[in-house]
Amino acid sequence: MSRIIRKLSNPMYIMIYATVGIFLAIYGAGAWAYGDRGFLTLRTFVNMFIDNAYYGISAVGMTMVLITGGIDLSVGAVASLTGMFIAYGTTILHIHPAVCIAFSLVVGVGLGLLMGWVIEYLNVPPFITTLTGMFLARGVCSLISRESINIQHSMIDSLAGWKIYFMHQVNGNWVKVKPIAFVNFNVILFLVMIVIGTFILQRTRFGRNIYAIGGNEQSARLMGLPVARTKILVYGFNGLCSVLAGLSYALYVKSGWNLSLQGAELDVITCAVIGGTLLTGGVGSMIGTLFGVLLKSIIPALITFNGHLLSWWGKIATGVLLLLFICIQGIVVSWSGRKRSA
Amino acid sequence: MNNILEMKQIEIEFPGVKALDKVDFSLRAGEVHSLLGENGAGKSTLIKCLTGVNKMDSGEILLDGNEIRPQDPGHAMTLGISTVFQEINLCPNLSVAENIFVGRQPMKHRQINWREINRRAEELLSGFGLEIDVTRPLSYYSTAIQQMVSIARAVDVQAKILILDEPTSSLDTGEVQLLFRVMRELKAKGMGIIFITHFLDQVYEISDRMTILRNGHLVGTYTVEELDRVSLVTMMIGKDFSGMFDMDRAEAAENSQAELEVSHIGVAGKVEDFSLTIKKGELVGFAGLLGSGRTETAEMLFGAVPSSRGSMKLEGHDVKIDSPGEALNNRMAFCPEDRKRDGIIGDLSIRENIILALQARRGFMKPLSLAEQNELADKYISLLGIATPDAEKKIGELSGGNQQKVILARWMATEPAVLILDEPTRGIDIGAKAEIQKLMLKMCADGTSVIFISSELDEIIRCSGKVVVMRDRKKVAELAGRECTQQKILEIIAGAA
Repeated sequence: MSRIIRKLSNPMYIMIYATVGIFLAIYGAGAWAYGDRGFLTLRTFVNMFIDNAYYGISAVGMTMVLITGGIDLSVGAVASLTGMFIAYGTTILHIHPAVCIAFSLVVGVGLGLLMGWVIEYLNVPPFITTLTGMFLARGVCSLISRESINIQHSMIDSLAGWKIYFMHQVNGNWVKVKPIAFVNFNVILFLVMIVIGTFILQRTRFGRNIYAIGGNEQSARLMGLPVARTKILVYGFNGLCSVLAGLSYALYVKSGWNLSLQGAELDVITCAVIGGTLLTGGVGSMIGTLFGVLLKSIIPALITFNGHLLSWWGKIATGVLLLLFICIQGIVVSWSGRKRSA
Repeated sequence: MNNILEMKQIEIEFPGVKALDKVDFSLRAGEVHSLLGENGAGKSTLIKCLTGVNKMDSGEILLDGNEIRPQDPGHAMTLGISTVFQEINLCPNLSVAENIFVGRQPMKHRQINWREINRRAEELLSGFGLEIDVTRPLSYYSTAIQQMVSIARAVDVQAKILILDEPTSSLDTGEVQLLFRVMRELKAKGMGIIFITHFLDQVYEISDRMTILRNGHLVGTYTVEELDRVSLVTMMIGKDFSGMFDMDRAEAAENSQAELEVSHIGVAGKVEDFSLTIKKGELVGFAGLLGSGRTETAEMLFGAVPSSRGSMKLEGHDVKIDSPGEALNNRMAFCPEDRKRDGIIGDLSIRENIILALQARRGFMKPLSLAEQNELADKYISLLGIATPDAEKKIGELSGGNQQKVILARWMATEPAVLILDEPTRGIDIGAKAEIQKLMLKMCADGTSVIFISSELDEIIRCSGKVVVMRDRKKVAELAGRECTQQKILEIIAGAA
């Protein structure tokens, strides 16, 4: 028993506790206030996933970038560019969407790797490098088209319309739960990415090198870890996540627009940070990021249930949450600086 | 015994300075070989050359008879050369166990085997006498434990050669013994250990041989039996001495009243139990090797590292100095060792640099008028003979000796009762040195008490009214009058007296 307590009291888990704790508190408050109006239903819960899956997918890659101590501002623009490739390619050029998606993957991952290379070998700060990447991707979006393009293709329609309904047994027959709740392709993709991300971070040397670099890059080099390769691959992987997020968003809105997802990179960073990822690097987890996405999406849900508040209150509440988490991080960092001997 | 490592005729040149000049070094299997020398002797450069951080210009390195050219520390590690640096080079956010195994984690089904990592880390550290929870982050533990963890990592990579660069500077006596026990075990297993330290006691306790470097040159390699401490220190400092102790000055100081009295002050792990009385107008020299605690003592007196015990009296009144601000208010001044980093502000003019400390003491609500500033600056420029066309020249454009004079002027302007000068004559030419020494003596004659830290013994003996000798972070002797000779001080520094 004391062994379990010792394990649970490991300071490594503090940030996850904070995220999960605050999510449960807000969820509890929502249940208390709006439980009678259906806040507690499975549908409300699942909708938080459906409406934010594309943020979540991108946050998986962003979490890794932030753990290395970097940042990537290009994710929104790359996701938007993916939408443009799919929309323009499918609707205007009549190319099969699978080809468009593959092309987007090559471009997105390639841009990520290139930015990682510039950051590592030319010593350009990640903020500047990825800002440049953002302008580049956004510029190409507008080159392709400055009008919104609808996506019309049977494959996209069937992918977007594909659903798994939640069922339960009534009198021995399987029926859909009421109110109807389902998960779609985006939610599955999000959850799969979280699992893949967890596996990479916890079970591979590559993942542990990411943490080591964030903890102390100089030390990581002196310990003989492949710092350059790891950093470049992290930005490449984040490019992959941006493209998948763009695909997910395209399925969600079924169109491509050059100005879509403006500022999304900041929402994605917010998800990761309120999920317990340290902006200075070295700390973060996929479970935390999953709850970070939920935390960010529960606020608009609460405002919808309230029905009186303007939606802008959502921005304010998100800001307050972000501030709260940055304060908690500051406290944790200074607290863990206190040394003790055995 | 055969050499596992041979470094032959190593030469490295940095812009303007030859860091290593045809240095030979060899290491046998199963020996602890100390590398000794003062600051700038080339110890670190030699180590960095061996670990691939610095590239050598000429020379060769043979490991087990085969030539190697380490590209970076990672490459050196795969060759079997592990290094534990003075600053702990681990990741504070990773667990203790992971810090030992990151980059070479045991795998199972192509996944990291955490259970195995934690088990082996526990096993390894308990061999070092450490029973700790290895799953906690490294930052959770003390520096000593972190140091042990980094040694555990270095040892576990199956190294043939282990380099320990000042590993003991943050350890207490018990922890040092623990480290030595581990070192002896490794030695018995046939590992060659290169040990760098400033503590001569430790050198004689653990080493088999020692190599002494001075100013990038090899002085020699000796077994511990061959070389006594006095000869060792003489080789490290390596000066022919001249200069006599001035008896009149000592007597003059004898008759004045005490300015600063400190008794039994100390900071755990830095300086232990320091007591000293300085008379008004007296110059006290601090002698000792690098790392003997001279600078730490000065920082403690000035409140930069507040003392945790003991008491201080200034002109007979009890004072408590917890911060440099407090020290300034009590008319103390401190001129730190690293002029470029802690002293000058290169982009400000001479005038601005001079008035800095005085203005800080007055508080920013009471600014000095420009006329007053100019007056002060002109006064000190002519008084100290600072070579400059006018007071508005940027201090960064002056020579080292003149920069040092400006810093002296900064503190003289505050008219301190006690002035602490840490290596004020380092890195300036001989003429400027003599002028700085003259200025110090003039200030003493005007009633200021001066603490003068220097690595050059003749300078200390020539200027001081009293000499404090430091060794291993302790004051070991206080000398004045006839006993204040080069020979005597050297013997005390070496710990032979």
